[in-house]
Amino acid sequence: MSQSTEPVIQIRNLSKIYRDFWGRKKVEAVKSLSLDVKPGEIFGLLGPNGSGKTTTMKMLLGLLFPSSGDIKVLGKPAHDVEKNERIGYLPEESYLYRFLNAEETLDFYGRLFKMSPQQRRQRRDELIEMVGIKHARKRQLKEYSKGMTRRIGLAQALINDPELVLLDEPTSGLDPLGTRDMKDLISRVREQGKTVVMCSHLLADVQDVCDRIAILYNGELKVLGDVSELLKEQEETELLTSKLSPEALKDVQAVLDKHKVKLHKAGQPSSSLEELFLRTVQTSKERPGRRIVQEDLKSGTGVS
Amino acid sequence: MSFDAPNFDFLMSLGIFALVMLGFFVLVIGLSMLGSFMTYGTGGFGVVMQNFQRALIDFFSISPKRIGAIADLTIKESIRKKTLLVFVIFAILFMFAGWFIGGTTDRPDLQVRVLVSFVLKTISWLVLIVIPLLACWGLPTDIKIRSLHTVITKPVRRNEVYLGRLLGYSAVGTGVLAIMGLVGYIWIVRQTPTAAQKELISRVPVYGLMNFTDRFGREGTGINVGYEWDFRSYIEGGTKSKTIYLFDGLSSDSLKSNYSARKAKYDKALQANAESAPPEPGVLNLEYNFEAFRAYKGTLDKRLSARLILVNPDDEKVRVPLPVFEVKEFSRFNEEKLIAVPEEITYRDEESQQLKTANLFTDIMPKGNLKVEVECLDPGQYLGMARPDLFIRMPDKYFATSYFKSIFGIWLQLTLMIMLAVTASCFVKGPVATLLTFSLVLVGMTPLSTMMFQMLQGQIEGGGPAEAIYRMWAHMNPSVEIQAGAFSYFLKIIDGIALGFLAVAFFIVPGFVNFRMVEYTANGFDVPWMSSLLPAIAITLGYVIPCLVIGYCSLTLREMEAK
Ligand SMILES: Nc1ncnc2c1ncn2[C@@H]1O[C@H](COP(=O)(O)OP(=O)(O)OP(=O)(O)O)[C@@H](O)[C@H]1O
Ligand SMILES: [Mg+2]
Repeated sequence: MSQSTEPVIQIRNLSKIYRDFWGRKKVEAVKSLSLDVKPGEIFGLLGPNGSGKTTTMKMLLGLLFPSSGDIKVLGKPAHDVEKNERIGYLPEESYLYRFLNAEETLDFYGRLFKMSPQQRRQRRDELIEMVGIKHARKRQLKEYSKGMTRRIGLAQALINDPELVLLDEPTSGLDPLGTRDMKDLISRVREQGKTVVMCSHLLADVQDVCDRIAILYNGELKVLGDVSELLKEQEETELLTSKLSPEALKDVQAVLDKHKVKLHKAGQPSSSLEELFLRTVQTSKERPGRRIVQEDLKSGTGVS
Repeated sequence: MSFDAPNFDFLMSLGIFALVMLGFFVLVIGLSMLGSFMTYGTGGFGVVMQNFQRALIDFFSISPKRIGAIADLTIKESIRKKTLLVFVIFAILFMFAGWFIGGTTDRPDLQVRVLVSFVLKTISWLVLIVIPLLACWGLPTDIKIRSLHTVITKPVRRNEVYLGRLLGYSAVGTGVLAIMGLVGYIWIVRQTPTAAQKELISRVPVYGLMNFTDRFGREGTGINVGYEWDFRSYIEGGTKSKTIYLFDGLSSDSLKSNYSARKAKYDKALQANAESAPPEPGVLNLEYNFEAFRAYKGTLDKRLSARLILVNPDDEKVRVPLPVFEVKEFSRFNEEKLIAVPEEITYRDEESQQLKTANLFTDIMPKGNLKVEVECLDPGQYLGMARPDLFIRMPDKYFATSYFKSIFGIWLQLTLMIMLAVTASCFVKGPVATLLTFSLVLVGMTPLSTMMFQMLQGQIEGGGPAEAIYRMWAHMNPSVEIQAGAFSYFLKIIDGIALGFLAVAFFIVPGFVNFRMVEYTANGFDVPWMSSLLPAIAITLGYVIPCLVIGYCSLTLREMEAK
């Protein structure tokens, strides 16, 4: 996934300090963050609550102004309006007009793009179908449940068939089916060669779909890299098979013994990203102000 | 109510507008320079230029389609949030109003006045409160529930958000006003009793300039008969005291066509019903509205008599006295106060006492100028008048003309208020925006301007506020000079600053006083262009650019998140 094309998102030394009305400092939500998102990848932004994920995303969209640092999105500065033509954004909570119904909502957002009425209608129907709220297309959003609002929010983010999709906790509030649909959808978007940046707390999902991740802690970048790389244990090998019977397991053990290989663990696979995440947070608490390297995680007092 | 509004001085207003705009832009640019120098140091200039460039791009690439989408959204929002309940209030008011304001049938003119002003005032109160309130709360709510966030992650420029909102609320207001205006019109026409229907007109007056001569015939001022409010000045009966009205720019053609139109109407009415026909029209129709002041009772049931003399101002030897008439000050119908002058006038010459005839157009007003002298003939009695109390009545227009011009006046005020409201709501929250908008309206409505003007020009004795306070405290008469020295200098500086603020306020608070057109319509006059509609339009237009700039800047410079 390391094509040598220009990054879709380029963040350099980005900081954000929230100030109150009098200009006094309240929180330093993002601290000198630098990262690139490459075209065509699915990038996961992780971190505990309040670590600055949403703040970062809002700065990418020009909703918040950086206190310092530089942002380039699709080669344009964050405040540039034209770039939004090619971006889709699903906010943390769906901030939509509650007096509109699903069709009107999509039509309204469609009108903000360079789309002809037919295109708009077609896209609207497609998306309503896709996010599965066809039965409620004529109902006002104020009657929607949380998950339904989430779905229409997603539809809204995709109305312009964007090249870059920013999803802030896309699966929050969705039922398991919806979650799976969302993952499918993200994969489909990737297949179309689009770039996705997402925040999520569901690490298993992130692990499934993301190519690269960054873990923020307290506004600082702690971990950045390919998921497969990050989770690869150099000294171990993983075999994943269909369920083994105890006899088969014994046979495998015998083979391993023959090669003098030690079996570390046998059982259902666990989501190792979760481990990585927990360890990162733990290490960050113990040693504040340091970027974490692989060795730290391994030798550190990992939580497992 | 005085209809004596001066004509609108377009050039002067344009000059003031240009000055204020210059000041405004200097202020905007100065402040942004200062701000960015403080934040970015020496790089500030570049930042300002960059932002300026951005603003220019934003202004030149606005898209009607996106503005339309946001306006549409605003309309939907207003409708779905039950704004239109205002119609229910309107309907209820009108259903029951008939009970309370019927019944004055013995004064049809008054009845029409009450009906018309009731309708127009109800409409303006309802519309001018509900819609601006809506506009004050729209954007702040949009920001608060963060629905605007999602919008501006689309390729929408902030000025499009501003314009969309503005247009949306204007459209809602226009719709509401149009429906109410129409319903109100039908209601007035149906509620007016048949006897008073002919009072539903819009008269078109041409006013002249007014001068007085005193009892010896010398140039002077009129007499104040002791009323506190000296709107009218009085002339003394049986003396050489006169009021002189000077009209100019009269065209004989328009007077003649006026006459033929009236005559045709009159003939028709005569044929239909000889009794209720209006008085026969003249080529020149003068309408008066004099007020008698009796110094002694005299014969109570006898009215004061007066006389008009037509004079050619370019050849004062041509003096044509018209027949003596009784001043019908309490007449029920306007048309009873009409003095019809035919084209050929037979009169008795004042000097030679011979009967002569004069042609109105060739002898009296060949150059379109006309002088009318008013005399009171009862010795010892007084006749009072103001400039608008004698006018030449041009062809009447339909009542609807004046009525809908008034509605248009309300619409202009509505538009301006929405503009102020949307602008205010770009940088403050709902309650503050409401307060700001309505205080501007209140200040703008107060006809303080004359006093403010005098104060600004230092014509008011006793100095500015600081000096006045000092004088009060020191029990000092306004005409006593304060000893020159450091202290008086200090007072002057304070007052200078205060007056400076006052001057700024005077020039930037919209002159809502100019939007009052209801009185014209209610009193059966047409709403004049030059002294009423045009200034209102100019004022409204004048606020477009500054409001847009302020709204755009506050939306752009504002972090949506920081609430
Ligand atoms: N509008 C705001 N004003 C002041 N502080 C804010 C504001 N928004 C966020 N913060 C602070 O900034 C920090 C980062 O918040 P942010 O919303 O970016 O976190 P997050 O990583 O998205 O968290 P979560 O997982 O809970 O969504 C937090 O400490 C938060 O309190
Ligand atoms: Mg968040």
